Amino acid sequence: MSKLLSTLLPGLIISAIFGSRLSAQEGPSYGDLLAGFSDPERWLTYSGDYSGKRHSPLKQITPENVSQLRPIWTFQTGTTTRGRGFEATPLADDGVLYVTGSNNNAWAIDAHTGRTFWRYRRNLPNDLTYGASAPVNRGFGMLGDRLFMVTLDAHLLAFDRRNGDILWEVELEDYRIGYAATLAPLVLDDKVIVGISGGEYRTRGFIDAYDPESGERLWRFNTIPGPGEPGSETWPDDPEVLAAGGGGTWMNGSFDPDLNLIYWGVGNPNPDYYGEARPGDNLYSNSLLALDADSGELRWHYQFTPHDLNDWDSNHMPVLAEVDWQGRLRQVVMVGNRNGFFYVLDRVTGELLLGKPFTATTWARELDVAGRPIVLNDGSQGCVPDPWGSTNFMPPTFVPEHDLFILTARETCATYVPEKPIDAPGQSNFGGTVLIDAEQGSGALRALDIHSGDLVWEFTYPSPTFGGVMSTAAGLVFAGDHEGNFMAFDSDNGDNLWHYQTGARIWGAAAMTFMLGNRQLVLIPSGTTLMAFALPE
Amino acid sequence: MKIYRSSGSGSLNLCASGYPGALLSLAVLLFVVAPPLFGQSVNPFEGDARAIRGGAGLFRAQCATCHGADAKGIVSIEAPDLTQIWKRQKLSAGAVFGSIRNGIPGSIMPSHSLTDTEVWMLVAYLQSVAETGVIGLPVGDRGAGREAFVENCSECHRAHGVGESLGPNLTGITLQRSLESLVASVRDPDAFVGRGYKVVRLINSKGREITGLIKSEDAFSIQLQDDTGRLRSVIKADLQTVERLSGSLMPEFASRKLIDQELFDIFNFLQSGA
Repeated sequence: MSKLLSTLLPGLIISAIFGSRLSAQEGPSYGDLLAGFSDPERWLTYSGDYSGKRHSPLKQITPENVSQLRPIWTFQTGTTTRGRGFEATPLADDGVLYVTGSNNNAWAIDAHTGRTFWRYRRNLPNDLTYGASAPVNRGFGMLGDRLFMVTLDAHLLAFDRRNGDILWEVELEDYRIGYAATLAPLVLDDKVIVGISGGEYRTRGFIDAYDPESGERLWRFNTIPGPGEPGSETWPDDPEVLAAGGGGTWMNGSFDPDLNLIYWGVGNPNPDYYGEARPGDNLYSNSLLALDADSGELRWHYQFTPHDLNDWDSNHMPVLAEVDWQGRLRQVVMVGNRNGFFYVLDRVTGELLLGKPFTATTWARELDVAGRPIVLNDGSQGCVPDPWGSTNFMPPTFVPEHDLFILTARETCATYVPEKPIDAPGQSNFGGTVLIDAEQGSGALRALDIHSGDLVWEFTYPSPTFGGVMSTAAGLVFAGDHEGNFMAFDSDNGDNLWHYQTGARIWGAAAMTFMLGNRQLVLIPSGTTLMAFALPE
Repeated sequence: MKIYRSSGSGSLNLCASGYPGALLSLAVLLFVVAPPLFGQSVNPFEGDARAIRGGAGLFRAQCATCHGADAKGIVSIEAPDLTQIWKRQKLSAGAVFGSIRNGIPGSIMPSHSLTDTEVWMLVAYLQSVAETGVIGLPVGDRGAGREAFVENCSECHRAHGVGESLGPNLTGITLQRSLESLVASVRDPDAFVGRGYKVVRLINSKGREITGLIKSEDAFSIQLQDDTGRLRSVIKADLQTVERLSGSLMPEFASRKLIDQELFDIFNFLQSGA
């Protein structure tokens, strides 16, 4: 061995070992995020891909063998949100799971064993307003070796995913006024897109884009217009009303890279139940927005619930698909809305293609020719869906093999009694009371034909349920219910094929799945735990 | 089959104390009461009719959506029955003040930046609707009450070590429920059937009929206490029929069957034993 070689060799060996390890640890690129489900060992975004379908191509677990599904490990978070759920979707890459939980805890977990690599817990102030919500979080966004998480004190954090270190943090808005953040950030090539909670406070909602490298804010779209801006004509001519108009954006959106548009839902106007101080449609509350991803400019909007009086935020995952619509291939966006209607829109133009009730809601039964609901009962006459809605943010799924939109439906009965609120910064005000008939209420997993909105099949639950839904190309639908069951169904006919009692209600969360080596794992958060299931080896 | 019931109606007519009235009361009280009020454990407004009215209005606006118009809670979101918190958790007025002001960390219960006076008005309202039981129990003979209890109630209920466990244990029930609701439970048990006591009649795969109380239920199973008191697991897929009955398993005790004085004797036994 020459002297030169003997000098260099240890370094070369070290470089070969660590260099390759480090490169193996490199996280997903924007190209990987765009590719969505193409790598079966990854689940890289909240819905698995940008479309929001939550429809995995994996086929190891089938309707024939799903009855053998069994738990392989349980991860105990040690934290909870009483009255709500463990609402996050874990991200999976290189055998590691990245997941956030209640009270701004977060973990990197060994997907083989459920053991932790690292844990993070934010030191939160003790005067949180929670944005009138609860101390929940719905997950990380990921790009390269960075993870992104929003916080209850309305910050956006960037993590080093290898050790949980914080690389930067920025304040979105002042939490003391009533702002908070709970969603899973939507990460594009050079932007981290986030929204905000707080529509029950004197807040003004927004959607923000931040630079993943520096945390610099790149653009902001305000969901409540300023004086003189488009949409302000749907509000009183009063800057103070506009500045406190609500319109939270607390559920993340979907993305169409070809159109370069993001689709994002907007929540209720403030105050929730008392509309006398805000006559008009109150744009862009309770709307779906299509925003240019580069500039944040509004391309089109559709308002599901004009002048909302029932807290029916439209903070749902917009589901994007390409479908044969009456003989013509169309790019559509679908929404199962808290107001009880299922909608299909052309996502290029915003044209409404279908709007039809999927629950027994008495609020409205049809839309007029302009696409506005014909309101029969604003809630003051009793028995319309409660403020939690006919469905909520729990993810639905789209099964392209059958053109089925499958969602959790809630049948409830509530009477709304509006009252003028006392407004104060940092104090939530719903503007009245809701009297919920606790004796009436049930839930169902419903599969809708997207072309007609008709019910194709359903599976009923004893109580109004908050669990989300995932489907796979093998013909399976996974769902959770309020009684704690994690279940598998045949997507073709709704037959229940398997269930497992997790011991706590599944609330706000939906399943995810990925290949760990040659084994398909299905994960569901429940109570304080994250549970992993697989077929026997 | 004997007496059992889970809870009375105890509902409060909040419409009688609307929000404008509450504001008026608040305005008056702000002049009358001198701060500071935080940091103390005794509510300066306890029993004050104006404060209770004002607190009822605030409750309706701030609390009723989760805790119910009657403050009795909503199980599905784990919002507790606020008429019961004082007894079960032995809370002080100061502790309730703190929970309203600061919220309950780690829960859906938010903080409220109300003034001290407003929070104490809310506490006064909650104190006013607390289930405090019979005030001034009618005179009765505890010994005769024990005998009447054994004869009429003990087949299903237990009290002071006597009886069975199909219905709720009635020991001390008079300390938690009003006389009116106790009498109503006996005279018209079908009027309200509480959670855990809804009746179902099942026919299983062998054609056998089972009647019992639904203790819990999910999409696949029912956790049943049958009419012999036995706890049974029932898998829905194994059933031929499921018939849900609207009434209670408890029979109606009309006044000709159990006169008022016998009831009062029983209530005295329930309160203090024989």
